[in-house]
Amino acid sequence: MIFESCAEIRSYFSDYVDGACDARTVRSIRYHLSDCKSCNKDLERYRAVQLDLRGMARQQVSPNLALRLRVQVSQELHRNVAQRLMIRLENIFHPVLLPSVAGFLVALVCFGLVLGMGTPRTNNIPDVPLDLVTPPTIMELAPMNFDMGGGPLVLVTYVNARGEVTSYKVLSGPHSPKFMESLDRMMYFSLFHPATTFGVPTSGRLVLSFRRITVRG
Amino acid sequence: MESVPFMGVALDLSAPASSDEAALVAELKAGSEKAFAYLLGVYQNPVYNLVYHMIGDPSEAPDVLQNIFLKILRGIRQFNGNSSLKTWLYRIAVHEVLNHRRSWGRRLFHEPYSVDDESLHLRVQGVMWGKEKETPYRVYEQAERDAGVNRALASLAQPYRTVVVLREIEDLSYEEIAQVLGIAEGTVKSRLRRGRELLKRKLSVQMSG
Repeated sequence: MIFESCAEIRSYFSDYVDGACDARTVRSIRYHLSDCKSCNKDLERYRAVQLDLRGMARQQVSPNLALRLRVQVSQELHRNVAQRLMIRLENIFHPVLLPSVAGFLVALVCFGLVLGMGTPRTNNIPDVPLDLVTPPTIMELAPMNFDMGGGPLVLVTYVNARGEVTSYKVLSGPHSPKFMESLDRMMYFSLFHPATTFGVPTSGRLVLSFRRITVRG
Repeated sequence: MESVPFMGVALDLSAPASSDEAALVAELKAGSEKAFAYLLGVYQNPVYNLVYHMIGDPSEAPDVLQNIFLKILRGIRQFNGNSSLKTWLYRIAVHEVLNHRRSWGRRLFHEPYSVDDESLHLRVQGVMWGKEKETPYRVYEQAERDAGVNRALASLAQPYRTVVVLREIEDLSYEEIAQVLGIAEGTVKSRLRRGRELLKRKLSVQMSG
């Protein structure tokens, strides 16, 4: 390719600086440039413009704008009402989830430690029952070794202020002399809590009912 | 579909390879937030740079950038893969800037270009705090030069400016520019030639003035 004028060759400079000319055109341009100062100068200006453009500081998105973009994208992606509700709930609960779980676990550990520190204390203070009147109660019954004849035995026992049986009366059950002797012995060796009136031991009555219980084994 | 590890959100990531790009597009179409975070990490700075130099008024650039990514988000399902994702993104960005300029064109036409941009102050602060290696003088000199080039660029007619920005600042090939703008490669070449010529003259006038 032979260029007729400088104006003609300069129309190729834009492609030339981009390396977009074919080999023949490049050769012709180089041949012309070797002998033309004016075109050389013009090409230098082309290159200077290119350098100025490419040397400009690249604009960066500020952190604030980057955050806005992220939020905008997130909002756009979660336009669905249910999803937005879930995200809102997650945002509410997420910050308190870790502290609350940690608090619960710490409380659980403390509770376990407290429970494991020993047997609970028992109240050793002999409190006086504050009820107005309490009936006598059994402390310990002597072993029974007699035959009731298969039927139940019901008796009224009179207990004095010291918890001793003063007398008793059989309401229902056998009345044989041998049985009564055994019953006397049992009553003699049994211990009772006396009845109380305003906390003061006093005499009282107690109804006892015995029934034969057979255990198979 | 196999999950793609688009976990990073760091800025200035390089564009994904074509094989990864298909997976990225699939994730984007599925509405993956991580994929969009990755997309932002890769493209928010280049697109912002493009908008900044095309729009003429830097203060409008953040709003336009937000609109662009909103349109990308809404239109990703229409992306059919005929062009690369980068070209498609740039096409949306260029159209959005042109629409914005059309609606605000009259006002923008009369507004002078401001050199008091935030990045300059940040860079000078960086120098003072020892983060930048250059001296404050060099930073201001560069800023002055940039401002002059920006003024010359802003004074170009829109078709020439768009092509020059895409070629010289965004380093797109003729073919990519043609795809972004929807014009023939020959038209790209002629607009670029004319744009460079005008820019050369304007910068010469500035230098001599």
